[in-house]
Formats: sequence, structure tokens, C-alpha cells
Amino acid sequence: MRGRLSGLGGFVTYTMAVLILLFVLAPLVVVVALSFSEAAFAVFPPVGFTFSWYETVLNDPEFQHSFLVSTLLALAAALTAFALGMPAAYALDRWRVPGGGAIEAMLLSPLILPILITGLALLQFMSMMRMMEASVNLFIGHVLITLPYLIRTITASLKQVDRSLEEAALTLGASPFTVFWRVTVPQILPGIAAGCLFAFMISFDDFPISFWLADVETMPLPIYLHSLMERVFDPSVAATSSLMIVTGVLAVLALEKLVGLRKAMGV
Amino acid sequence: MTANPTDLALSGLTKSFGGTLAVDNVTLRISAGEMVALLGPSGCGKTTTLRMVAGLVQPTSGDVLIDGYRVTHIPVHRRNIGMLFQNYALFPHLTVAQNVAFGLQMRRVSRAEVASRVTTALRLVQLDPFAERLPSALSGGQQQRVALARAIVIEPSLLLLDEPLGALDKSLREAMQGEIRAIQKRLGITAVMVTHDQEEAMTMADRIVVMRGGVLEQVGTPEEVYSHPANRFVAGFLGASNFLRGSALGREGGEVVMRLDGGGLARVRAGAGPGGPLIAIRPEAVRLQPASAEAPVENGIPGTVEQVRYRGQSTHIHLRLDDGESFLAYLSNGDEAVPRQGFRPGDRMLASWSSASATMIADA
Repeated sequence: MRGRLSGLGGFVTYTMAVLILLFVLAPLVVVVALSFSEAAFAVFPPVGFTFSWYETVLNDPEFQHSFLVSTLLALAAALTAFALGMPAAYALDRWRVPGGGAIEAMLLSPLILPILITGLALLQFMSMMRMMEASVNLFIGHVLITLPYLIRTITASLKQVDRSLEEAALTLGASPFTVFWRVTVPQILPGIAAGCLFAFMISFDDFPISFWLADVETMPLPIYLHSLMERVFDPSVAATSSLMIVTGVLAVLALEKLVGLRKAMGV
Repeated sequence: MTANPTDLALSGLTKSFGGTLAVDNVTLRISAGEMVALLGPSGCGKTTTLRMVAGLVQPTSGDVLIDGYRVTHIPVHRRNIGMLFQNYALFPHLTVAQNVAFGLQMRRVSRAEVASRVTTALRLVQLDPFAERLPSALSGGQQQRVALARAIVIEPSLLLLDEPLGALDKSLREAMQGEIRAIQKRLGITAVMVTHDQEEAMTMADRIVVMRGGVLEQVGTPEEVYSHPANRFVAGFLGASNFLRGSALGREGGEVVMRLDGGGLARVRAGAGPGGPLIAIRPEAVRLQPASAEAPVENGIPGTVEQVRYRGQSTHIHLRLDDGESFLAYLSNGDEAVPRQGFRPGDRMLASWSSASATMIADA
């Protein structure tokens, strides 16, 4: 449906859209506004305007550590989930894998199971196996919960690939491997990018898995934020949150620059 | 850009999908430089046959031989085949020139040679000014011409066409038919085309292969298949035909005399058609005159006019015979000798034809 809506239907649609947008954005606006407040406690409305909380946060070695942990963890999880999810999605979509349906359901199950329970189960398993390295445990947990997003987006893109393009490339002398790289991948690239972005954001934002698997030495940002709030509720918490929001926005903008967001989301 | 003429043979080619025979024991020889059309209704196995020739479908049994070499188990990308698809299948992320260059790059042709051969191929399809455009900026007909250039630039042993013009409108389709045929002839490429459009098959192909239910019904030149259909299916699929049932009484001076079930006698040239209980008469061979005497006549049958349809070049007259069968006559509107007026529904008419225009065929 292209073009502007008009009349009563248009009015209702636009009003609804604005209300929903307000509903989604208002809390974020409050947080961002608080982060600039000069007051010593996080109270709304903010008082004055200052960047000092950002200064405090950015100079805080604990924040620096957590931000680095979360960024590296999210990047590693997204890339690993891609490396595992790409062949899995391809095989499930293109080949007749015995028990393919069951395998797919299993790979996607972290979407359905309560993540908190998945995390607890992982913790029990890992302590049973005497896996004490938090960074490794976090990495495994985050790959597990981001993998379904990659598989879903890549499978959806693969289903939209025009098979006759691949067949045409084969008749022109391209080996199946070349066909994959030169014909299939360019077509599913937006899907891959969208999947990786989802994976990055899911991992970067994750609380319920990290909650079980993190320790003091490897503390992702959401866990750090939570512990910060337990100690004190000054605008530095809001500044930390704002920095997380900025990271998310930057990731989306990078995706838009690279492949175009509309394409990536299949709009 | 000329192809080495290559011949193609299918030997007992069979494909079953989960127990259903899609292609059943097809044996066919196609000469070098020939253009053959596989024609039939959807589900007749023509596309599966073409895809087995390409190597996109693995036959259940039987063989594909190119120039006498068995290629049945050679994968698609080593068969040196040019193929056109109904949806053109151009790579959307590559320009026209890059699309055409793709097959040459796969063959590790030098950069300079790729450039010159791409230009030559695009010139052949008159699209050289569009080299740097993306396929999405071209019309359907132009896209299929790019696909044609891409297919022939690799100098394929075979050109395979899978309903290549199905997505184009009628006038463009006719122009493209001529264009593809001219290029195929000029390059001398052996070509196999799949189509469900009998006119397309007749205008483009040297020979037509009529298929039904995975089986070859008839193989012959367009003229043979049209004038001497092997059976009722072929006669009905290529153009329209009238069928009259009868039984042979005997031979008389090179003609078979048949008694028609609806009354009357018919004479059919001996050896015209494979023989059988049916006489097939093309509607354009039928003449009409007001029925006067009810006495049985030779090569004629009375009927009642049901519908008169003016079709521009011709007028189609639908008759209902006394036994309830329908009978069709096409009267040419350009022929001054043929009366065109005075046919009204309800009129009694005598439909007649010459012995030479009737064929005896099997009822299958």
C-alpha cells in the first residue's frame, strides 16, 4: 500500500501510530533526559543540564570493562551464530535432511523456552561439567539464544531466493559453490545482515542468561547496570542506559548504511 | 560466435517422482542445428524432459547423449548448455554486461576477450547501448534478449528454452519468436524448446514433439503433425479438428471407403494417417451449403447451425450433428467465393470436405 491515507481511516491510523510511538519512546526519553540532570538523584523532571554524568560513567573502569565485555560478547556471539546458523539454515532449506523438522524445532527452541530457565539449566550443566570460565560460559549461552534469530532470518531469505537464478548460473558453468557465493549470498545478504543485527542486539541487551553465567570478572553491561542501581540511583544509571541506547541506534544506522534497513527487514 | 553443431539423443529417458511417472521412456534423436519444440498441456512431462537434458533433474533411468557422449551423470555446470527461463533469471545485482559476462568468467576467459565477446553478443540482440544498466531497468522483452545473449555468448552445445516467451504479450512474443529463431539458425545451435503454445511451436520449430502424460504422442515437422495427426489427442491439441466415427468398408482406387456412424460414406486417401476408426477433418477444410436432399452423400454430413462467431479473418460456424456431436467449420472471410451471410442458428446445413483433407486416426 503506497501513498498517503486520507479521511477518517487515515486520521485514525496516523493517530494510533503517533500514540504507539509515544508509548514506546516516552520511557526512553525520560531516561535520556535524566542523564543530563544536574540533580544528585534521578528525579523527573531533570534539573539543569550537564554532561558530567557521562564523564563519570565513561571514566569509570567498571563501566569500561562491562561495555567492552558486552560489545565483544555480542560481536562474538553474532558472528559465531552466523557461522553456525548459515549452514544450518541452508541445509534445512535446501537438502532433504532426515529429521530436518525436529532439528529445526530444536535449534529454534530457545525462542520458545523461558530464557531465564534456559540460563539456569546452562548454569547447572556448566557447574556439573566444572566449566568455571565465565567468559566462555557467557559466549556459549549467548550463541545459544542468538542462533534462532540468524536461522529464522536466513531461512526466510533463502525461501525468497529465485531458484531459477541459481539454475541459470549452473547452466552457465558455475560450480555449486560458486553459485552459492556469487548468486545466492548476494540475494540473502540483507537477511544475513538483519539476522546479525538482531543477534548483536539480543546479546548486547541480554539479562536473563548473563544473570546466571556472569561473574565479577566478566560482567556484561545489563548486569553491571542492575548492580549499579542496587547501589545508588543517580543519573549515572541513566547515562549508562543512554549509552546502551546509542549503541543500539548506531548498530541500526550501520546496517542501514550497509544494506538498507528496508531491504534487511524485507519491507 | 558460431556453435559447433551438436546432436542430442534421449534414450529411454524416464523420471518418476515418488512413484508417479512424469516422463516415461522417451527416446528421441535431435540433429545438429535443429530446433525441436516439446509441446503439450501442463503436466505432460515436457519441462521435466528439458530439465533432464540440462542436468537440473537426474533421470530415474535412461540416458542423455550429446554428440554421442553419455552426459547423464555429468553435472549441469560441466554440460556447456545455454538455457532461457520463463522469468528470464537475470542476476538482479549485476549489470546487463556483467550478466552476459558471467558464463565467460566461469570459463576463465581473459578480461579483454570477455569484454569483446560480451559486446558482440549484446550487439547481436541489439542491446549494446544498455550494457551498463541493471536488468530491472529493462522491459520483459529486453530482459529475455539479455538472457539470450548470456546463453549464447558461452557458445553452448545446446540451447534450451523453457517457455521463454510465456511472460510476454502477444505482439512482442511474435517478434521475439522470429528473433530467437533467426539467431538460432544463424549460429546453427541445436535447440530444444518447451512450450504449451501450439502456434509458437509451429512457427519456431523444425520439428514438434507432442507429449501427453510423459509419453511421446507424435514427432514430426509442424506440417506433418498438423496435417497428419497420429491420434485424436494430437489432432485436438494442435488446432481444432472434427472427428467422425466410422468403419472401413474396403478400398477403392487408392482410397478407403468408410461408413460413417452418423450415416453416409466417406472416402479417405489410403495411407493418410496411421489408420483407425476416426476420421479427422480440419474446420478450415469444411465447406457449407444449405442441406437440400436428406439422402446420404459422400464426404458430407448434415447438421444444424448452433452458433456463428465472427473472428475477423474467418467466421466460425458451430454445427450440431444429428447424433449430437459438434462439428466446426471455419469460413475464410477473404474468400469471395464462400458465402458468409445467411447462416443463422437453426439453419440446416450440409458440411462437406474433400477426400484429400480427411485423415484416419486412432481414437486415443
